[in-house]
Amino acid sequence: MASKFWTQGGSDTEEEETDIEDEIENGGAGETTAAAAGSRYLQTNASDSDDSDGQKRVVRSAKDKRFEEMASTVDQMKNAMKINDWVSLQESFDKINKQLEKVMRVTESDRVPNLYIKCLVMLEDFLAEALANKEAKKKMSSSNHKALNAMKQKLKKNNKQYEELINKYRENPESEEEKFEDEDEDEDEDESGSELEDPSQIAAESSDEDDEGEDVDDDDADGAWEKKLSKKEKLMDREFKKDPSEITWDTVNKKFKEVVAARGRKGTGKFEQVEQLTFLTKVAKTPAQKLEILFSVISAQFDVNPGLSGHMPINVWKKCVQNMLVILDILVQYPNIVVDDMVEPDENETQKGADYDGTIRVWGNLVAFLERIDNEFFKSLQCIDPHTREYVERLRDEPLFLVLAQNVQEYLERIGDLKSAAKVALRRVELVYYKPQEVYDAMRQLAVLSEDGEKDGDETKVEETRGTSAFVVTPELVSRKLTFPENSRALMDILVTLIYKSGDERTKARAMLCDIYHHALFDEFSIARDLLLMSHLQDTIQHMDVSTQILFNRAMAQVGLCAFRVGLIAEGHGCLSELYSGGRVKELLAQGVSQSRYHEKTPEQERLERRRQMPYHMHINLELLEAVHLICAMLLEVPNMAANSLDAKRKVISKTFRRLLEVSERQPFTGPPENVRDHVMAATRALCKGDFQKAFDVINSLDVWKLLRNRESVLEMLKAKIKEEALRTYLFTYCSSYDTLGLDQLTKMFDLSDAQIHSIVSKMLVNEELHASWDQPTRCIIFHDVEYSRLQALAFQLTEKLSILAESNERAVEARFGGGGLDLPLRRRDNQEYAAGTSGGGGGRWPDLSYNQGRQGSSGRAAYTGGGRPLALGQASRDRSSQSRGTGGYSGRAGSGMRGYQMDASARMVSLSRGVRG
Amino acid sequence: MANSMARSFLQVAATEEVASPLRVVQIEGLVILKIIKHCKEFSPALVTGQLLGLDVGSVLEVTNCFPFPIREEDEEIEADGANYQLEMMRCLREVNVDNNTVGWYQSTILGSYQTVELIETFMNYQENIRRCVCIIYDPSRSNQGVLALKALKLSDSFMELYRANNFTGEKLREKNLSWVDIFEEIPIKVSNSALISAFMTELESDTPVKQCDYDRLQLSTKPYMERNVEFLIECMDDLSMEQQKFQFYYRSLSRQQAQQQAWLQKRRTENMARKAAGEEPLPEEDPSNPIFKPIPEPSRLESFLVTNQIANYCNQINGVAGQNFNRLYLMKSLHDN
Repeated sequence: MASKFWTQGGSDTEEEETDIEDEIENGGAGETTAAAAGSRYLQTNASDSDDSDGQKRVVRSAKDKRFEEMASTVDQMKNAMKINDWVSLQESFDKINKQLEKVMRVTESDRVPNLYIKCLVMLEDFLAEALANKEAKKKMSSSNHKALNAMKQKLKKNNKQYEELINKYRENPESEEEKFEDEDEDEDEDESGSELEDPSQIAAESSDEDDEGEDVDDDDADGAWEKKLSKKEKLMDREFKKDPSEITWDTVNKKFKEVVAARGRKGTGKFEQVEQLTFLTKVAKTPAQKLEILFSVISAQFDVNPGLSGHMPINVWKKCVQNMLVILDILVQYPNIVVDDMVEPDENETQKGADYDGTIRVWGNLVAFLERIDNEFFKSLQCIDPHTREYVERLRDEPLFLVLAQNVQEYLERIGDLKSAAKVALRRVELVYYKPQEVYDAMRQLAVLSEDGEKDGDETKVEETRGTSAFVVTPELVSRKLTFPENSRALMDILVTLIYKSGDERTKARAMLCDIYHHALFDEFSIARDLLLMSHLQDTIQHMDVSTQILFNRAMAQVGLCAFRVGLIAEGHGCLSELYSGGRVKELLAQGVSQSRYHEKTPEQERLERRRQMPYHMHINLELLEAVHLICAMLLEVPNMAANSLDAKRKVISKTFRRLLEVSERQPFTGPPENVRDHVMAATRALCKGDFQKAFDVINSLDVWKLLRNRESVLEMLKAKIKEEALRTYLFTYCSSYDTLGLDQLTKMFDLSDAQIHSIVSKMLVNEELHASWDQPTRCIIFHDVEYSRLQALAFQLTEKLSILAESNERAVEARFGGGGLDLPLRRRDNQEYAAGTSGGGGGRWPDLSYNQGRQGSSGRAAYTGGGRPLALGQASRDRSSQSRGTGGYSGRAGSGMRGYQMDASARMVSLSRGVRG
Repeated sequence: MANSMARSFLQVAATEEVASPLRVVQIEGLVILKIIKHCKEFSPALVTGQLLGLDVGSVLEVTNCFPFPIREEDEEIEADGANYQLEMMRCLREVNVDNNTVGWYQSTILGSYQTVELIETFMNYQENIRRCVCIIYDPSRSNQGVLALKALKLSDSFMELYRANNFTGEKLREKNLSWVDIFEEIPIKVSNSALISAFMTELESDTPVKQCDYDRLQLSTKPYMERNVEFLIECMDDLSMEQQKFQFYYRSLSRQQAQQQAWLQKRRTENMARKAAGEEPLPEEDPSNPIFKPIPEPSRLESFLVTNQIANYCNQINGVAGQNFNRLYLMKSLHDN
């Protein structure tokens, strides 16, 4: 037992272990050549009896390993005590403290292991004894004496932290011992060989603890947890067990204050506190008190969360939700209880019983708790690897939260706190808005399915909480069921209407964005666009917080996708081009961190950015987005390039696309397309030659299309568009080579009907893009040779430059005198002007919107007739109006308008990036 | 004669103290011819040369000039250029020619001379010579049938500002200086000796219209116009760039002001709290804080120059267009005849 090996090896091991954690096994094996080639585990179980037990070599978890290390250290300490060797005792003590840290880390709890406490008690006692024994002290060697004194200091300091636990242990060591006796059948002979009195008793116990610890650890951490819990309950019970009638409100209140006061203090276990408070809820005397304690329980549960970036443990989260539901139960049952966080409630407010008539004020904030719970849910989804089962499991918890949110909202509406209700509604909206109908249906089904299972679980749980000694029984008044409308749109409408009515500015903006996103998801482009324009979010979004800006970007992306699906290429491009102009799509949509080569982000920024990330299931598919963006750009840019082949610089619709094209043209050899970009570039090359079939085939071969719901119709539309643009490109490119061109030949070449070709060509003629005329009898296009003189061309260029200059001058002046946002007044004025043009139905914004919708059908391709310019959302309506009025000077205005928009966009992106960085 | 000359010199010496403003640049016909020859021969490359003469009261007499060799972008050769200049002056002094530098001449293309370099050169000259002038000759414009000769100097108020290198909006407003006030054009008077004048009168023919006058009616001004417009476009780009700079400045300024306000607000509430706690309030200004560092305002000089340039091009286009209309009417009436 008193093996020499340990007293010698002690110091070596210590060094090794502190330095090289990972190599513990190697180090251990290397250093102990003496200890036969046995495994580390055999060694650490230093007691001979264990060896004789013939323990097999087992692979153990890190947790077990740590516990064993600790146990072995305790053994060492015992040995040192026996020979009164304070030097090695001191070393061992340092070691055990280090090991404690490791254990805590591994078990991820802040519960100090019993083993450690036991060891501390043992040391304390031994120390007291040693100090008492003056004679022995005198006999000690000087080094030993010094160590003794040092140990005295250290232990005193150290034990202060664990005072409470130690006292608890001292109070009822026997109960523990009994338990150990029961558990450990194979009591070993150590006990008999003990010659020390009290400490040795404990020491012996703790040596048993080795085996015991193993057993416990083999089960689970939860097992240990349960045991401890029962112990605690015993403790608590002892205080309250006397007689239910003896427990008064005062005792409960006192205990409650005591527990709450311990919050955040060093050495207060967070789990422990939750448990204690949970126990208190059971013995609470009045509903108000129970409510108060429940609020504290939830706060304590939030405290369990280890850090800002980590998320709350899932089981705690679920308990938290349950607690919230209980709170609601109470609130519903006793409508005279008011929850408020504004006023400091009277000390004895909660004393008023259930039969009290007046209002009882209890401190708390339901909305804040709800938001916190939602945030924790969001964070957990951010942290969990989306490709694991765990993630899916976690997603299944969503209905749980939705139920809670629904109930909280109902409650708040009932008590008339609409502002808070709007906040809660927003949380619900944010969980629903990104779900297509399919996903929504699946969620509903899940909610229905889990209901049965949930019910069982619920009942047992309720039984459990109620079974013991709940003084205030709260029946489940609030439904635990989700009541969903059939259609997600219907749900959105209800929630959004509420928010618009009573939400604050930010809530409304966010709800609006979610609404837009949802509409876009359901292919309702015109509604989504109108909402976007009506809300003027484009103007104000720069001043909002980053997460709202991200939401805005997401909504824009979705609107762009939607425009593409319904065949509005120009609009789609308008929405998407700004996202792609900076090359930081991932960052803008918060779907990943983009690495910039030019400036390193500080860890701080990176952490911030990581915290903003969208969970995986909310992502917009980036490949699809890129494909749509590039295809839109291609359809607009290719004919544009063909039309302005002479000076390519002049009108650039999509800079991104141009750049990509240049890169791909520089390649000496073009291989078969691999990614989205390659595909679009290959299609572009074909389209430039007017080969629509090849272009379509290449694009069709992209596999992102399977992500579209109505894939067939979209591809059909795409094919029609490609044909059309191919025709236009062909005409632009080769018009100079023809004198006349037959309609029949064109129909054959482009597989389009006579009428279609006629309309396309006529449109080009009207817009003076093509200098030609129809010869009806012979069904031919006759080309005229009209070329601008150089001077004319230059003059055009000059006017364009001038208009830019004038525009930016105007903006500068507005900025100086306008006060608000840079471009806000400009936009407004346009709107008014426009409203006036539409027979001024009151000059408000609604009439012009309805007008807009009315025109939608008749000028379906109004943007297209606008010379293939990218009419961004804001300008689309404007151009249409000016065209329908047939005013002159159209091109100039459209051009400037477009540019203005792009500038806005760039400004916005800048601001966002500022937000990202700053 | 010598007496009168001496007196005139005396007069000059006397007037120098008063420093009457420069009213006229009087150039010898020979000098003009030399300038034209030099500039035209090297066109379209830009050349420069030295002007020599006398500073007499409000009249600056230019009596001689010599060309500089074409400069290369090289240090050594530039040093050579300076040597050449000194050497040339020495030689001229030896043969008793006026060797008092009064400025320089340079050729230009389509009047695009308003550059920072010109201003710098001018300031250099100004340091050494109290009164100097820059003669600008535009060979391309002269092809249109006008003698495109201009004498320029920088306005005094501008020079003052330039020395202080302070072209902020505030200063400019204070001085009431707008873009037109950078350069001052001085009327040129061509003086010839009596003999030459007499000879010229002799040369003048009796018939009012001659063949060469008909030649002047040619209408091919298109390339000239085109280039003008091209330059104008470039200027527009430059101007937009300047504007962007300014806008950027304005944006960052407003952001900074917002920051300052926020900081001040915070500080005030902090001070309130401190006052309540009975502590000394913190100062409301903190010069070490980076948000109080003033953002340098972009210089307006460049945009002024560009504006000048634009005005110049516009004038030219205007002038040529006017002339062309005249020619067209003339042609029409000629054909009618």
